[in-house]
Amino acid sequence: MLEHADIKRILPHRHPILQVDRVLELDPGNRIVATKAVTGAEPCYVGLPAEAPASAYAYPVSLLVESLGQAGGILWLHTAAQRAEPVTGTLIFGSARDLTLTGHAYPGDVLRHVVHLELVKGDNAFMRGETWVGDTRIATVGEILAVLRQDTTLVPA
Amino acid sequence: MAASTVRAFAAPLDAVDRIEDRAAGVIEAVKDIVADDPYLGGHYPDFTIYPGVFTIETVYQAARRAIEERGGPGTRAEIAAIASVRFSAPLLPGDVLRATCELTDLDPSRVRVKARCRRGDGRTSAQLTLELLVHKENADA
Repeated sequence: MLEHADIKRILPHRHPILQVDRVLELDPGNRIVATKAVTGAEPCYVGLPAEAPASAYAYPVSLLVESLGQAGGILWLHTAAQRAEPVTGTLIFGSARDLTLTGHAYPGDVLRHVVHLELVKGDNAFMRGETWVGDTRIATVGEILAVLRQDTTLVPA
Repeated sequence: MAASTVRAFAAPLDAVDRIEDRAAGVIEAVKDIVADDPYLGGHYPDFTIYPGVFTIETVYQAARRAIEERGGPGTRAEIAAIASVRFSAPLLPGDVLRATCELTDLDPSRVRVKARCRRGDGRTSAQLTLELLVHKENADA
């Protein structure tokens, strides 16, 4: 199991966009199970009017996808570190396809991502995964590509 | 039309600054990339890149607003699928994101949104296709 402090040594993302809280299982090169607790204290809930309906509190799909992708990023980068493979560049979201949403998460829910690493080719990692809340699958992604960008223009001045 | 200042649903940020109607079913959403938007301080601490998922948010918010305006009070549009999304150039503070979104009704409750996103220099930053589920909801449900 990896705790939040361990995750921050693997991913470059920081509060509040670091969207993974804990890793429950990690099989290097193969599979990860990671969680993210959704709370009403998150910035995405700032400013909602008191009369907003329950549906207004659905966790944003963009952040859900970010969370799923970060779980995949942990799997990839942790696998590379274990194999003593050098990791350089900026981790970015390259592409995704066949992502379907079949449910919602609300404050108080825990997202549980299950991501499989399909193929690593140079600076590209191809993955697929699912997100669950309890016994309900709320998202499925057929392919997600994470990329380590070696673009020098992204280096801080 | 001007961007709404009161957010009616959970969102990581106001991902649309301006919307311009281009033609029937085509809208252009404009977002100025600024480092002090919510969530961007952590992406990343040493330098800022507009997260790819926030480009999805820009396209979604623009399409949602257009569909809800068209459908009248109580109309809601949510993402049912991201058929595809591909990022081809980064967005950094100072860049202006222009998302040209083409809305097609697949049936009365499903709208496909095809978007091409460009930076100020004309380079394509992303291309994506979303499917939105449209339904009516009691305003006080």
